[in-house]
Amino acid sequence: MLKNYFKIAFRNLWRHRVFSFINVIGLTISMTACFLIFLYVHFELSYDSFHSKADRIYRVVTDLKTPSEMLHTGGPSWAVGPHIVQEFPQLEAAVRTTGDELLVRKGNVKYQELNSLYADSAFFKVFDFKLLKGDPATALNEPLSIVFSQSAAKKYFGDQDPVGQTVLLTGDGLTAKITGLMEDMPENSLIKADMLVSMTTLTRKFNPGLDDQWGNYGNSTYILVKPGTRISALQAQFPAFLERRNGDEMKRLNMYPTLLLEPLKDVYLRSTRNGNNTGNINNVYIFSLVAVFILLIACFNFVNLTTARSAERAKEVGIRKVVGAMKAQLTAQFIGESVLLCVIAFLFTLGITALLLPSFNQLAGKIISTGVFQNGHFILLLLLAALGIGLLAGLYPALVLSSFKPVSVLKGRFSTGSRGVLLRKGLVVSQFTISITLIIATIIVYNQMNFMRNQDLGFNKDQMMVINTNSDPAKEAFRNAVSGMAGVKSVAMSSSVPGGGNPGAYSMIQNKKGEMQIANLDLYFVDFDYIPQYHLKLLAGRAFSRDFQTDTTQAMILNEAAIKLFGYSSPKEAIGRRFSQWGREGMIIGVMKDFHFRSLQQEIKPLSMRIEPNGCNLISINISAKNLPATISDIEKKWNALIPARPFSYFFLDDFFDKQYRSEERFGKLFLNFAALAVLISCLGLLGLASYSTMQRTREIGIRKVLGASVTNIVNLLSGEFLKLVAIAIIIASPIAWFAMHSWLQDFAYRIHISLEIFITAAILAALIALLTVSFQAIKAAVANPVNSLRTE
Amino acid sequence: MIRIHDLEKIYKTEEVETIALNKLSFQVNDGEFVAVMGPSGCGKSTLLNILGLLDDPDNGSFLFNGIEVAHFNERKRADLRKRNIGFVFQSFNLIDELTVFENVELPLIYLGVKGEERKKRVEEMLDKMQIMHRRNHYPQQLSGGQQQRVAVARAVVNKPKLILADEPTGNLDSANGNEVMELLTDLNEQGTTIIMVTHSEHDARYSHRIIRMLDGQTVTENILA
Ligand SMILES: Nc1ncnc2c1ncn2[C@@H]1O[C@H](COP(=O)(O)OP(=O)(O)OP(=O)(O)O)[C@@H](O)[C@H]1O
Ligand SMILES: [Mg+2]
Repeated sequence: MLKNYFKIAFRNLWRHRVFSFINVIGLTISMTACFLIFLYVHFELSYDSFHSKADRIYRVVTDLKTPSEMLHTGGPSWAVGPHIVQEFPQLEAAVRTTGDELLVRKGNVKYQELNSLYADSAFFKVFDFKLLKGDPATALNEPLSIVFSQSAAKKYFGDQDPVGQTVLLTGDGLTAKITGLMEDMPENSLIKADMLVSMTTLTRKFNPGLDDQWGNYGNSTYILVKPGTRISALQAQFPAFLERRNGDEMKRLNMYPTLLLEPLKDVYLRSTRNGNNTGNINNVYIFSLVAVFILLIACFNFVNLTTARSAERAKEVGIRKVVGAMKAQLTAQFIGESVLLCVIAFLFTLGITALLLPSFNQLAGKIISTGVFQNGHFILLLLLAALGIGLLAGLYPALVLSSFKPVSVLKGRFSTGSRGVLLRKGLVVSQFTISITLIIATIIVYNQMNFMRNQDLGFNKDQMMVINTNSDPAKEAFRNAVSGMAGVKSVAMSSSVPGGGNPGAYSMIQNKKGEMQIANLDLYFVDFDYIPQYHLKLLAGRAFSRDFQTDTTQAMILNEAAIKLFGYSSPKEAIGRRFSQWGREGMIIGVMKDFHFRSLQQEIKPLSMRIEPNGCNLISINISAKNLPATISDIEKKWNALIPARPFSYFFLDDFFDKQYRSEERFGKLFLNFAALAVLISCLGLLGLASYSTMQRTREIGIRKVLGASVTNIVNLLSGEFLKLVAIAIIIASPIAWFAMHSWLQDFAYRIHISLEIFITAAILAALIALLTVSFQAIKAAVANPVNSLRTE
Repeated sequence: MIRIHDLEKIYKTEEVETIALNKLSFQVNDGEFVAVMGPSGCGKSTLLNILGLLDDPDNGSFLFNGIEVAHFNERKRADLRKRNIGFVFQSFNLIDELTVFENVELPLIYLGVKGEERKKRVEEMLDKMQIMHRRNHYPQQLSGGQQQRVAVARAVVNKPKLILADEPTGNLDSANGNEVMELLTDLNEQGTTIIMVTHSEHDARYSHRIIRMLDGQTVTENILA
């Protein structure tokens, strides 16, 4: 029996190659898309679950209330970690980490290790990063202890055992000992570092007293709680803990922190405190939804094409029933056929996914999967899904087909003319609704990306080369050497550049009422040349000037957002008011126009600028476009002469700033690809339906032509029907897309308006694509010689 | 074998009500060869479909081997049908996607006959119908007469007690038509009951008895043998 089913299934597939082809292609494309999305989603959801104690690890974060604002930070102050373990017996350990870019030298080999991480000694107790050599309990105990990842160690030691050896750390050339060798951290880890340095290096050597600084932020703190600890109860005890240990200082500074716990496994996808550096649960939802849509479209194709062909299968059904087939047997047969189709698609999917995976990894910007065949149970899952899809997509057509009455079928006057037409139209409309929604969404995503890239940021980012001196003592000398060079227009130094991080400083600024208002202000240390070089515009007062001796210590410039915070209604009013910040006091000498020092996702925050040569480690060099490579190599020569200990590296500000949109860009690209796939699969279905309906109407077309219809008449007749469906889809899709994208845009502080043009563009696009698909068939039928078509009957 | 009494079948469409069978009664005994004749539209095919359990009557009684089957559900009818009844149609009704062999094999598959046994019986039957050499051909590759022989082979391969034939020679020339009639006569002589609808007096003469119908009723019965 099964053999007979298989035989007839295969022959049926082969005999109706076009339909089988469309179905298999459609299913393959959609299953491939879904499988890739599945891999992506699975990867995103897998973050940090490899830690065996992941369920007991929490990240401590802070909501910091100042008289001016509420700050949501990704970590607590430096004192919290060490004090919290002492206080609460529920905690097994606490680990603080903070990233840095450290210079490491071994003989002639030198690297600025961009992914260095200071970590407390309990690091390996809390997390499951695998230590290959060294003692996990003590590796990070002593100051100047280093644990290298395998690939980092290779750079300095080749294949030698690094443990026990030494390297020179920082520009000062401190001797540090390698105490451990760890496996490279997995891709799906929130914490990523090539090199771990003992936290005591910071807390005992570089910055003694850090362990007791309650007002100093800038680290991440993770705690490991004992099994069975009630987190809400623990969290409820934090205010009292802070009050006890730090109450006086909180009152004096008028800064009140609240400590909150985030489960480690939620940090990567769900925490909103990471900026754009980590994943986004919304993207996971969006892509899952897209996967479901794509699958639905392919299933609809299947249902449509199968039911459209039911007249052809009707005779077979009739005969089988006459010779003794039960309805259930026929249902099983037809479901079997659709399952077979899906299994074929499954095989193709495996192959194509394997081929596409490298480019998909590239598109996603990380290694989501190293190979399809690496993971047996994913393949099994895909097979199960294929069987499920076959079952689901096959069920309705199977029920329809198997319920045909042999009497009516075999009489030959059976017609499926009106049978299921409404359903087919409904499904086509749904497919195009999905496709058009995706088209509109894609257009909006791209418009927003373009908007962000082309928006006037309020500062000059062209031809701006930036070099990090990492506070090398020779930085001033280097600056002076570069500033006179041919091809260099101007040079400025600062602590930060737009698109990068900058400190937030506890500040007191005299507000409109004359009181000293406390706020956490973003802070840029700059030199005298920074404001002119970046073309920052002053709205009131003046820029920093070498003519005023006091400017080096007692002058501050604020942006518009800052003076608004302090209640001023015009920039002028703020000039001459007093400030106190990080031990400096003085006057506000100028107000600058707001510029985007962060990405356009974020509102422009209140910003202060001061002169502070010690804090200025970044050198911005505005170079002329002419002879660019020569200028850069001249600069490199100067660097190597003056700062030979450090490797020369630089970036261009425009690239650097746009890097903030990398995840959006990836999102956009992925979205575009999947939307295109959805449209493609819908069109495949449309093509199938169109070719089928024209085939069925060959005779009608012949008669019409004999009676005098023109080719245009016929094409209109055949295409019009489908275009009507697309039109309905446009009407349904537009509001859906508007709602979805309106809420997506809310993530961007600066965003485009969703204009009518977008919908019109999408509508025209969809109509054109549909018309192209359908008219190909229609024209073929319309230009055919009617004599031929009439003879076939 | 068959006894129908006051059988009624009424087709209702939006405007008209067609009485296809109007209180029809007759009886067919085991081993008989009966021809049903009458003008087009008098209800012959309707009758045959009901006798073949493909359709159910609206009223009246239908005893098949002494069992009342008029109100059997689809499942029960299908079960009874596949064990007892073979069909031959005017338009052959072979499955285009299956070879000659597979077409003939089909009833046995649904009867659950094992593979070996199936092969033996199909080959036997094809031999008898003299189309063994065409066993791997598809229906479109055969002449009308050959196709009808395959259809007959398929109808009798499960050794049914009753064969229903609806104008089996309607699409054939006289030579091929006679061949099919010979086949049916042979089968009848081996004990199979046959009810055949035909428009041809010539074909009807192969039967034992002719039932003539008009407007859903029997008008006369001629006994030939
Ligand atoms: N499905 C149906 N719906 C409505 N009326 C029907 C249906 N099937 C048959 N009829 C009507 O029932 C009557 C009997 O039809 P039937 O097919 O039994 O005639 P017939 O004797 O086999 O004719 P022919 O010799 O042309 O094959 C006819 O009037 C026909 O129009
Ligand atoms: Mg008839």
